[in-house]
This record gives sequence, structure tokens and C-alpha cells, in this order.
Amino acid sequence: MFSYNFYLNIFLIFLIILLFIFYQRKVSDLKKAREEVEMILAIRTKARTRALNELAQSLEKKVERRTKELEESRIALMGTLEDVEDARRIAEEEKDKTLSIITNFSDGLLFFDEKNKLSLINPQAEKLLKAKNQSIIGKSVLELESFEAFNLLAKTIGKEIKKISKEELLLYNLTLEVSTISIVKEDKKTGTLIVLHDVTREKTIEKLKTEFVSLSAHQLRTPLSAIKWTLKMLLDGDLGEITKEQKEYITKIYQSNERMIDLINDLLNVTRIEEGKYLSHPILADFQKIVQLVASSLENIIKKKKIKFKFEEPKEKLPKVKIDVEKIELVVQNLLTNAILYTNPGGEVIVSLGSNNDGIGFKVSDTGIGIPKTQQKRVFSKFFRGSNAMKMDTGGTGLGLYISKNIIEAHNGKIWFESKEGKGTIFYFTLPCGKGLVEKPQSAIIN
Amino acid sequence: MAKILLIEDEQIMLDLLRRKLTEEGHEVSIAKDGEEGLKAMTEAKPDIILLDIVMPKKGGFEVMEDMQKDPSLKRIPVIIISNSGQPVELSRAQKLGAKDWLIKTEFDPQEVIDKVKKQLWQKQS
Repeated sequence: MFSYNFYLNIFLIFLIILLFIFYQRKVSDLKKAREEVEMILAIRTKARTRALNELAQSLEKKVERRTKELEESRIALMGTLEDVEDARRIAEEEKDKTLSIITNFSDGLLFFDEKNKLSLINPQAEKLLKAKNQSIIGKSVLELESFEAFNLLAKTIGKEIKKISKEELLLYNLTLEVSTISIVKEDKKTGTLIVLHDVTREKTIEKLKTEFVSLSAHQLRTPLSAIKWTLKMLLDGDLGEITKEQKEYITKIYQSNERMIDLINDLLNVTRIEEGKYLSHPILADFQKIVQLVASSLENIIKKKKIKFKFEEPKEKLPKVKIDVEKIELVVQNLLTNAILYTNPGGEVIVSLGSNNDGIGFKVSDTGIGIPKTQQKRVFSKFFRGSNAMKMDTGGTGLGLYISKNIIEAHNGKIWFESKEGKGTIFYFTLPCGKGLVEKPQSAIIN
Repeated sequence: MAKILLIEDEQIMLDLLRRKLTEEGHEVSIAKDGEEGLKAMTEAKPDIILLDIVMPKKGGFEVMEDMQKDPSLKRIPVIIISNSGQPVELSRAQKLGAKDWLIKTEFDPQEVIDKVKKQLWQKQS
């Protein structure tokens, strides 16, 4: 029989087996759980690694892109720097070029800044003004007056540097033409440029030319006078009887000789104008009388040319004018002679005079050949002759109107004309009365 | 009629004027430069002098200056006969006592005779 112990043992064994089985099962569960955890961990780790990898990759790309961008920027920047450098170099070259032009310019150049202080002077100007750069730069016109040459220059340009163009300046033995040019930037004056142009050589040549013409004209006058007087005595019968035919020929020679004398007188007048000694002291004179006197001296030519000549008296008596009578006579004679010579027979020449508060006026109109429109601009220039006038009469010198203009302008008057080719011409001039005649610089008047 | 002294360096002018003046009945003496002229006027004491300006040895202005210094010559009337007639020259001649001025190219011999007549008439009256 089985004892209690036996059963107890069996039970214990059974329990142990049961416990063992239970334990085994737990262990396996735990193992499973651990494996699961491990698996999950592995999966997670893997996932995280991938994410990290992706992140790293994207970062790397970003860095790469940024690097590229930076590189591009750097290249662009370098390019810009190069451009700036190029621009600087070009500017430098331009500056050098401008400076070398200023330095080597044949004219003297001075630049005064907006405060009228000398800021630049080129070597030529230094030479002309006999001054050195360092001692004069930064000084005003007033301060520069202590230098002799600048003192002379200041008299021409003024302390405030006025606007002048080609004004003559005698500096020691040189003749300079001085011009001032305002330099304006965006409506603001930044300074004044002064140009000194040396015309000494031109002036010398001009003087020599004038002297030559003057001398030859004087020399030519002597034999012409001899011819004139001899012919006149022949014509007057002082040297014996001559036949009618001889007389005709001698008259023609006499007239040609007269024309030569006129031409030389014109040349002398021109050289005197150019020498600047033309007007003698003006006196108060009766202008109407002068015109009538000249007109009556032309009666013969008027008759010969079969021209109607009319003198219209002024409505009111003309005031007396202060003029160089001889020269004004010459002007009236030139204008009347032109009107008569260039009007065909049957034509008409009318002279009229007038006055107002400012002065007196002269007008001569003709129905002559007129002045071609294209040539009208040159009417008052030296040696000008209208192409149609040249065909008509070859005797003129082309100096009469040049001389007339100079005379009228020396009297502060004005001279002008209206003309239509084939219809006629009107010449006008005015002369101021009263205080109109201003004293000219001494050199222009003979005392 | 009158004693006239011609001072002129141009032979032809001299001949023409002498002829013209002699025909008028004047007694004409001649000189071909200023120096000769001064000598001639001291000797001949003319009633009137016709004087050129540009001449060798002594020009017309110098002749007049010398005449001003000599009381016996000072009062002889002088008519200038010149090739030129610039205002400066005219006023200088006037200051030196010249009575009249002729520009050769602008006058003819008859007019010279007339001027001489005028001066002689003025001298008499």
C-alpha cells in the first residue's frame, strides 16, 4: 500500500514537473519578448539610421549647393572687381590723356575754380605769364596782381573774370588773344577756363602787309600824279594844240589814270582802317549839306547814264551831327556812286534823309541790277563784288562798302541794305546825334 | 607878277609846274630837295613857296621848321604839295604855318595856279 509519503512524493514530483513546465513556458515567453524587443530595436535603429543618412545626404547637398553658390558669387565678385579695376584704369588713362593734352597744348590755359582761385596752369601759360606753378596756384586774381604779367591780364579779364572772346592783350613783346570760358556742370558754375592764344606772328605779318600796301600805294601815287598832271596840261592845250582825235584818246587815258588813283586811295583807306588810325576829330556838321554836295558832284555821271535822280528833302530840318566830315562824304559818295553805276539807263535813284530822337538816317534806293541773294552775306567784306556787277562794270575795287561800313561803325552808326536781283537795292545808314559818338580808344583816332 | 620858289624832287612835276607858272607870268626858281630849297629861299626871297613833303636830304616838314627859326623866312607863305594828306600831316603842317595843302593826285596844275593866286591876293590885302 501506498503510503502517504508516497503520494506526497508523487505530488511533489508532479508539482515540480508542473513548475518546470511553467518555468519553461515563461522562459520561452520572455525569450520571445526579448527577441521581439530586439527586433523592434533593430527595426527602429535601422529606420533612424536611414533617416540620419537621408538627413546627412540632404545636408551634404545643401552644403554643396551653397558652396556652388558661394563659388559663383566669388566669381561674380571677382568679375565686378575686375570691371572696377578696368574702369579705374580707363579713367586714369583718360585723366593722363587730358593732362597731357593740357600740358602740351600750344595755347596757355588757366583754370580758376568756383571761388575764382587759380587751380590749374599749363606750362605754356607759365611761360607766357612768366610765373611758376607753385608760387601762384590757389591764389585769386586779386592776389595774383603782384605778378606783373598777371596784373596786365587782370586788366583784360577783370577781377571777377568777365566773359570775353579773343580780346587782344599786349604782354611785353607778345600779342595774345584772351578768351574766358565758363565751365558749367548741372546748371552750376564750377569755374572759368582762360585761354591765351599767341598771335604775335600773325600780328607781325599783318603789320608788315599793311605797311607794304601803304608804302606801295604811296609810291604809286607819285608817278600817277605825274601822269595826271601831264595829261591834264595836254588836254588844256598848255603843251600846244592837239587834234580832236588825240584829245579823245588822252581823255580816255586820263580817266583810266583816275580809276587807278581811286583804287590806290581805296587801298590806302583800307590799310588805314586796319592800322586802326582812321577817324580824325569829328566836328558838328550839317549832314544834308554834305549829301547835296556829293550829289551835285555826281551830276555829270547821272546825266551821262541817263538816270532819273531825286533828292527828297527831310520833313524836318536835320539836327547837326558830330562826324568826321571827309569820311562821311566818302560813305555818301560810295553809296550814291554804286546806286548810279549799277542802275541801267532809264532807271531811278532816290535819296532821302530823315531824323528822330536818336539820330539821323540816310536812304538811297535804286532800280538797278540788285545783289544776288546768295552773295548778300558778303556785301560788306573786303574785295567783294557781286557777280552781276562784275559783268557790268569791271572798274570797282570791292572796297567801297567795306570802307563805308567801317566808317559808319566808327561813328557808332549802323549800315544795312535790302536788295532783289534785277529789281534794285536800298542802302540805309544811321548816325547817332548828341552824345551818340563815343570816344574810341586813342589808337583809333588820329589827333 | 610874283617870285615863286618850287621845292620838289620829282623832275616831271617840277617841269610841269614851272611851265604852268611861267605861262601865268610868274618868275619861277626851282630846288630839288629841302636843303637846296632853304638856300634858294634865303637868296631869292620868294613871294610864295610851293613845297613837297617827302624829299631827299631835307623833307618839307624840316624845311618849315627851319623857316620858323629864321625871321626873314618865317613870313613867306607856303603851299604844301604832297602825295599824301593824312590828318596828322595836315595838322602838323598847319602848326608850322603852312597856308594851304594840295594832294597831287586830287588836284591838277590849274588848281595849283588858282591856289597860288589866292595866296598872293591874301598877301597883298
